[in-house]
Order: sequence, then C-alpha cells, then structure tokens
Amino acid sequence: MDLRAGDSWGMLACLCTVLWHLPAVPALNRTGDPGPGPSIQKTYDLTRYLEHQLRSLAGTYLNYLGPPFNEPDFNPPRLSAEALPSATVDFNVWRSLNDHLRLAQNYQAYSHLLCYLRGLDRHAATAELRRSLAHFCTSLQGLLGSIAGVMAALGYPLPPQGAEPAWAPSPSHSDFLQKMDDFWLLKELQTWLWRSAKDFNRLKKKTQSSAAAVTLRLEAPF
Amino acid sequence: MLALWTWIVQALFIFLTIDSVGGGLLKPCGHIIPESPVVAPNTTFTAICVLDEECLSEHHLNANQIFWKIKDTRVPKEQYTILNRTAASVTLEDVSSLGSPLTCNILLYGQIEQNIYGIQIRVGWAPEKPKNLSCIVNGQSNMKCQWDPGKETHLDTTYVLKSEWPTRQLTDCIPPPNVNNSCTVDMVVVYVNMDVWVVATNVLGNVSSDRINFDPIDIVQLLPPYNVTVSNSKEISSILKVSWANPVDKPFEGLKYNIRYRTKDASDWTLIPPEDTASTRDSFTVQYLKPFTEYVFSIRCMNREGRGFWSNWSAESSGVTYEAKPSNAPSFWYEIDPSQGHGYRLVHLKWKTLPRSEANGRILDYEVTLRGGKTSHFSRLINDTKMTLNITNDPYVASLKARNIVGSSDPSTLTIPGHDFKAAHPITNLKAFPKDNELWVQWTPPNEPVNKYIVEWCVFSDNLPCTPDWQQEGSATKLTYLRADLMESKCYLITVIPVYDDGPGSPQSVKAYLKQAPPSRGPFVRTKKVGKNEAVLVWEHLPIDDQNGFIRNYTIFYRTSSGNETAVHVNSSHTEYTLSPLTSDTLYMVRMAAYTDEGGKDGPEFTFTTPKFAQGEIEAIVVPVCLAFLLTTLLGVLLCFNKLDLIKKHIWPNVPDPSKSHIAQWSPHTPTRHNLHPKDQMYPEGNFTDTDVSVVEIEANEKKHLPEDLKSLDLFKKEKITTEGHSSGIGGSSCMSSSRPSISSNDESESGQNTSSTVQYSTVVHSGYRHQVPSVQVFSRSESTQPLLDSEERPEDLQIVENGGSGDGASPRQQYFKQNCNQDEISPDLPHFERSKQVSSVNEEDFVRLTQQQMSDQRSQSSGSGPMKDFEDISAADNFGASNDGQIQRFETIGLEAATDEGMPKSYLPQTVRQGGYVPQ
Repeated sequence: MDLRAGDSWGMLACLCTVLWHLPAVPALNRTGDPGPGPSIQKTYDLTRYLEHQLRSLAGTYLNYLGPPFNEPDFNPPRLSAEALPSATVDFNVWRSLNDHLRLAQNYQAYSHLLCYLRGLDRHAATAELRRSLAHFCTSLQGLLGSIAGVMAALGYPLPPQGAEPAWAPSPSHSDFLQKMDDFWLLKELQTWLWRSAKDFNRLKKKTQSSAAAVTLRLEAPF
Repeated sequence: MLALWTWIVQALFIFLTIDSVGGGLLKPCGHIIPESPVVAPNTTFTAICVLDEECLSEHHLNANQIFWKIKDTRVPKEQYTILNRTAASVTLEDVSSLGSPLTCNILLYGQIEQNIYGIQIRVGWAPEKPKNLSCIVNGQSNMKCQWDPGKETHLDTTYVLKSEWPTRQLTDCIPPPNVNNSCTVDMVVVYVNMDVWVVATNVLGNVSSDRINFDPIDIVQLLPPYNVTVSNSKEISSILKVSWANPVDKPFEGLKYNIRYRTKDASDWTLIPPEDTASTRDSFTVQYLKPFTEYVFSIRCMNREGRGFWSNWSAESSGVTYEAKPSNAPSFWYEIDPSQGHGYRLVHLKWKTLPRSEANGRILDYEVTLRGGKTSHFSRLINDTKMTLNITNDPYVASLKARNIVGSSDPSTLTIPGHDFKAAHPITNLKAFPKDNELWVQWTPPNEPVNKYIVEWCVFSDNLPCTPDWQQEGSATKLTYLRADLMESKCYLITVIPVYDDGPGSPQSVKAYLKQAPPSRGPFVRTKKVGKNEAVLVWEHLPIDDQNGFIRNYTIFYRTSSGNETAVHVNSSHTEYTLSPLTSDTLYMVRMAAYTDEGGKDGPEFTFTTPKFAQGEIEAIVVPVCLAFLLTTLLGVLLCFNKLDLIKKHIWPNVPDPSKSHIAQWSPHTPTRHNLHPKDQMYPEGNFTDTDVSVVEIEANEKKHLPEDLKSLDLFKKEKITTEGHSSGIGGSSCMSSSRPSISSNDESESGQNTSSTVQYSTVVHSGYRHQVPSVQVFSRSESTQPLLDSEERPEDLQIVENGGSGDGASPRQQYFKQNCNQDEISPDLPHFERSKQVSSVNEEDFVRLTQQQMSDQRSQSSGSGPMKDFEDISAADNFGASNDGQIQRFETIGLEAATDEGMPKSYLPQTVRQGGYVPQ
C-alpha cells in the first residue's frame, strides 16, 4: 500500500509539474528532448532482443547441463531457488500495480537476476558458452540502464540499491541442485523478460497516446 | 697535435686524481633533473645540474664551475643560471635542432674538464586529436570502430576507445599492438544508446576525440545469407527457385532482402523488386525467365526496419531453367548445282543452328521434308545442318523443323523453283556501311510481298574464291547487320536475295568494308612515254587485296633531284596521266600514292630523265639541212647543165676546126672526118687503127716551147673540175704519167712567164721521125678556132721546130701535143678517178698521141741531146732501167703497169692495147 500511496503522490507531483511548466513550454515542441517514448521503445526492443538472446543461450546452456535439464518437458519443482525473484505473480495483481512500481520491480528483479547470472559463468566450461553468457549479462546490464533511463524520463526515482545479493551457493548444494538452480534462473529470466516486454509495450502505447493528446515536454520533478 | 696530447695527458691525470681521491668513478658527482626528458619541438627546455655535496667538499667545487655541453659543443654561458652553491640550470631554446646528449661538466682546478652527468633528450609531439571516428556492428556483438590518429608523434602513444551508457562507463577497448586507428569492441549491446570516443595519450599529453552517440542497432551490418542454391522446375521452364540460409548472428529477427540475377553471359544484374522480398524468408521463386538459360543469383539482407546497413552480396549461385520447344524455325536456304544432266540437278539445302535463346534446349535433330517432283513426299531426320539431294527439274517445296527434347519448332519452308524459273523483282537501293563496329546492310523492299530475305557475303579477293556466308532476315527487315566475325580492311561482297512464294528473286550485290585502312602498298608508276616537256605516266590499279578500302584518288608526287615536290591528284578511275610541263634534260623522281578513306600509301619511286630534244626534233633539223644542201647541189648541177655551153665556152674555148681551115683545104690528104667530139670515143675499136689521127712526133729539144702552152693548160685545169666527163678532144688528159716531175715543174715555172694565148691551136706536125718517114702527111685536128696563122707566125714555135731538128714544118703539131701533155702534168693532184675519167673519155686518137708524146718527152729528158734510142728501148729504160727488151708487147705491159702505178683504172690501158690502136708508126 505504501507503494500505492507513493505512486499517487508521484502522479500528483508529476501532474503539478506538468501544469507548472505548461505556459513555459511551447506546444508542439518536438525538436528538443524527445521524451520517454523512444527510450521506452528501446527498452521494449531490448527486452525482445534479450528474450531472443536468452532462447539461444538457454538452449546451449541446458544442453551443457545435460539431461534431464535439456528435455523440453522437464519441469522440476522449485526447491532451492527462493532467493530468485519470482515473476510468477498473479497477472491481475501485476496489472493493478502502477507504472512506477512495475518499473521498479522490474529493475530490482533484473538487478538480482544479473547477480545470479554472473554466477553461472563459473560453471560454464566452454569459451563459447562463457562468451554468450558474458554477452547476455552485458545486455542485461544494458536493460537495467534502459529501465533506469525510462524511470528517469518518466520522473520516477530509482529504487534504493540494496546490498547486492552475493551468489553464495552453500557447500551443501549438490551438483544436481546447483544445476537445478541454474535451470530455475534461466526459467525465471525467461518469465521476467516475457512479462517485461508486455509491460514496456503497454507503457509505450500509453506514452504514445498521451504524447499524442498533449505534446508536452515532461521533465523529472527534481 | 701538441694541444691534443696535452688534453689527453690532462684527462688521464684527472681520472687518476678522481679515482684516487673519490675512491672510483662508480659514484657520480652529481645528476641532472629531469632524468629522461621528452621535449616537443620549438619549446624551451630547462635542465638543472645538481652537484653532490660530498664531491663539492672534497674537491672544493661549486656551481659556478659547471658548464654544459650538447654532444661536444659547449653551451654559451649566457644560457646558464646559478641557482645556488650546488645547482646550476641551462635553458635551451629548441632542443630538437641541437641533439643529444646534454652533459653537465665541471672545470677542475680551473682547467681540467670533468663530465659529471649526461641525459638523452627525446623529441616528439603530443598526440593530435583523433578524427573521423566511426563504428560498425558486425553480427550482434562485435563492433569495430575506426578513426584517423593524425600526425605521427614519434613517441609511444596509446589509443583507447572509450564508451559509456548514460548510466555507466563501459569497458575500454584497447587496440592490439601496432594498431593506432581501430579497435573492435567485443560485446556491444544493441538498443542502448552509447557514447564512444577515443583518447590518445603519450608523455607529452593526452587528447580525446569528439564523442559520437548511437544505438548500435543502427550500425549493424549482418553477414550475407549463405548456402544459396538454385533449382528449376520441369513443369514450368520459365521459373527458378532460389533458396538460402539466413545469418544466425543477428540482434533482430526481421530481415529484408535484395535478390539480383543475370544470365550467365551478361554483366548487368536484374534486381527483383525489393517490395517482393521485404520479409524474412529463406527462398524465393523467380518467374518470367527464358527457357534453357543459365541464371546467376546473389542475395543480401539487412534489418527489416531498415536500420543498419545492407550486408555484402552473397556468393553467386547459378541454375538453368528447363527446356522448352524451339521458339523459332531455323534459317533455311539452298544452292542449286545444275551440273547434273538428264533432267536432274543437285540441291544443297543448308540451315543455321538456332541460337540458344531460340533453341530453348539442346537440339536433337532436324526434320527435313521435301514435296514435289516424282517423289511427292520425302522426310528425313538429320543431325547435320546441311543436306544434298538429287532432284528433278520440277519445282519443290522443302521444309525444316528443329527438334529438342520437349518438342519441335515451327517449320521453315522454302520453294525450290523449277529448272526454267526466271528470278525477278530484285530489291533496290542496296547500301552497306559500317557503324558501331558492325557492317550494316540497308535496302528498299520490292513491291511484291516477300517471305524473307537472304543476305550472303564473302571476302572479295583476287587470291581466294568467294565462299559465302549467309543469314536470313524476316520479311519486314530493311536494315540489318552481318552477324559474323568480320575482318577489317577486307572487301566484302554482300548480296541480298528476296525470297518469294514461288522462289528467290534476283540478287543484288554491293561491296563494303567493315573498316578501311590505308592500302598495303602504293601503285607502281612508270613512264609510258617521256617527251621533252612531258611524260606520260601509267600504272595499274592495285589488286583488291592490297587496296584495304575503296581507292578514292591517287596522288602523283614528282620532283627533280633538287627542286620541290609537286603533287597532282588524280581520279581513282584513271590509270594514265600526262605530267607537264617538265624541264627538258632533267632527272625526275616520281612516285604515286593511293588513298582510301583511311589514308594513303606511297608506291616505289620511279626515276626518268626527260630528253634534251623532243622526238623528231633532230630529224626536223637535220633533214631540212640535208635537203637544203641537196637542193643547193642540185641547183648548182642544174645550173651547170643549163650553162654548160657558157661554161664550156669559158673553160673550153672553141677551137676552130682545122679541117675547115685553109690548111685543110690545101692539104691533099685531109682526113674526111676530123671530128674530135667526145662522141668519137664511141667508135669501134677496130676503127681505131683506121682513124685519120696523125701522131705528132715531138722532138726532145722542144722543151722551150712548153711554157707557152702551160698558161692555157693551167686555165684548163681549173675549169676542168667542173666539166669532168665533158672534156673531149684535145682537152682529154692523156699525159697521165707522173714519171717526169722535173719537166712538169719546169713547165710550170716557165708557163708563168708565158702569156701566150695561142696554145689551143692544133699543131700540124710533120710525122716524119728520124729515120721513119711517114708515108703520108698527117694533120692533127684542133678545135681551136683561133687562126692558125698566129702560131705560124710565132717565132718561138718556129724556133722549136728548128731546134727540134726535124724540120719540114712539123712544129705546130708538136706544140699541140706538148700542150696536152703539160696540162696533165700540171695537175698531178687531180683525183685519180677524175683522171681515169679523163682518160676514159680521152679520145683514142688523143691517147695515141699522148703516148707518143710521152715517149718523146722521155726521150728528150733522159738522153737530152744524145742519140735517140729505139722507141722500145727508151720506153723500157724509162720504166725498168736496164731492160732492153724491145718488143712492142713488152711495152704494152709496161704501159699497163704504169697505169696501175698511177692508180688508173685497169681498164684503161688494156683497152688501149686491145684497141690495138697503138702501133708505132
């Protein structure tokens, strides 16, 4: 609920700012800052690209993990991956969140996922796989930056950067359980990317319609 | 030299000193700051030499003693600054021009130079600002950026490609060693804008390029599609399916393509409309292609939204469309060989292979069908492109079909007219001309409907037979070019034959060159006739193989050995030309050039000399001159004849006929005939002895009378030249003997004094001689008309008679004979022939007289007043010295010999002898 309150306050602040700047900003001023539209579009494209990139990476990596992880119908229970941010939130609940919250949750989730993902590197044996992983991580890093950019463009504050959850596999973890963690990591990533793409697409449409209604230059409140 | 030794000794001393004092050279006495400087050109550089405190105290040194050297050159004192007791600095203006090393030295004891420390100064530039930075993303993660590093720094300079996202700095890209203008970023993330710039750094500073900001997705260039294959369809011969594999490494899914194709032999590509290939796919079917044709394909791709760049073109891949039935009938023509007798003839059918574009496949064979004549239908399959048939003189219709695996072409039909067919309706206005390296033929069609045209051509040459090539043209054709590999500078004889329903029309021909060239050689010019002021030059037309083009004109160049060359242009149809005017008696050099449209070629030079005189000129001069001379001579002769009497009168004064004189009247024995006219010579020999001529005997001592006669003789001699052959009578020269030169000379000398004109009188001599007494008194006749009395009256004559001792009035006769004799002797230089003439014309009577006179003269000369020898003896003695043979016959021989000696005609004396008239009386 705090988030909701913050969201409404933020919205109010945004509205006030818009109104405040309304006389100062020339209407139809498209030549200056293009607004959040392009960055949202880019974030959406990047998400789609990451989905595409992950597909090939997951295929390679699961093959590397070997059976049963590379079997298409393998669907193990989620045992030891509690630390992973789960994207399996109810659709309606997720949709009821405002943009800021969703963006922030995305941001936080990818921050965590990125950390875990870097842990995969230690297992990857082949250079090719390691390279794919590294590239994916870099791309994910780019996504984080993009989301931050969108949030900034929309005037949302970045969520507080907590202590980075270190990848600390307990020694008790068997090799199989570790592989299970890796499996779930890739699976969660896929889910998150799929949902993020939907989010950014929606956000994009929303911004486009609002931009069409009021071609205003939105500025961050601070 | 001495100074050098001094310096070496000093240096040795110092080293020893320092070595002993300072405990070795290992520890320097000071150092220079900075240690290893790098200096930019045209900048001021300052170095400080700091002396070691220990050294200072030991050797009592101070900074005043410091001096600087660059290489071996001492730096002027003005550039030094003493900072304190232990340190001194030097300021150098432009080190790059001075060089290295820079040494700090000290002067020990006021005179010994000791090196303290040295440094190397490096000169280089600070890096320039990198320019023209640009990047391209290959595939999905590799980004290669390039820039222009600018001027060489001569120093170690590092270039670093820096990049950052709005939110964070990215890893630097460091180029591999020895690369200073590009770097490849390993993992670039698309859809995130990034800033990229280059930082160049060396010891003299660092500089950054301008930043560029882009989303890497906008600079992506994918790898081209690969595994491109082309396949055809047996059902549709006009399509080909192109398949390929899309590049894997790409940051997006959506692709669009460019597909281009061309026939194998062509160089221009055809692009499939891009809107047909604007979506991701891996195959495409190309339509509207030609059957049985090989096509080459190539593909490229890029982001479907148009972001980034097109990939390179893929490797080419080719495929052949499937066969279709031939689309056209082959060109079809024939030749008739009428040599076959008995109502048959050979027909050579010939056709052209279809071009690949019309064959639409591999032609398996040709189907030839013949209708007409006795065999109403005939059909055969042939692999060749020609066929010879023996057919009757009837008209035929031949048709031809080309067949491939799919089907056969439409038939190509040809009417072979009957034996008695007369071709007609030719085309008109046939022209051939080269254009665009082809030989074009143009004509005006006849009024009758034409089925097709046959164009035949061959190289027109003197050496090679005309082996025609041919091609077929459609009925609407009026202009075409010869589809063959034609040679330049060859004359082509092009024939166009219209083909009608009932057979071929009359052929029309034209000659043409694909490209003319100057003739291979010039014409051989020579002279046909050379006159004094002109020369007729002739030449032959060049053989067609040497012409290399249409000979448009000739040019004749001629010159004398010293003069300028003159050129004359002559029409190409001529083979003869008259050069004029020329100078006579001059050497001319003439050559001839033949010109085609492309230029000319000179022939060999021909030289000739004009004569001094024109032909007939010499004749024209000589003949008239000769004629004039001849005419003059003739006139002279005629004149002579005309005036013969006058001349005769002049030279040969009329001597009165003694027979008509009073003496004759009173002489009882006057001969009945006294004519001394030349015609008397014609008397028969036999008559000679019967003549009444009297021989006058002259006494030897009658010499004194001779001079009187000479004068007249001299006159006579002169005139005699012109009156040869007409001399007669007493004028006849009888004294041909030259055996008495002394007498004649005496006569001459004496005759000069003698002015008597009475010589012409005949002298009547008493013929009695010594012991011989003539039986009758003889009178010799003279033609003189002068009165005889004059001579009778003359005392000299009388005296002679007296001196001669012969008495009895014979002296006039004697004188007459002398006269004759002397005359001859006075003119010894007369040509022999004249003499002979004279002689021959001499009256025989004269001759007899002469001989007698001669003998008497001889006698008078040799014996003088001595006793007279016998006639025979004297004669012999005169001619042969000692010979005393006294026969008459002998004398005759002598006379003959004498005559021979004189060059007289041999006929003379024998004649005389034969006449037998010479009988001593």
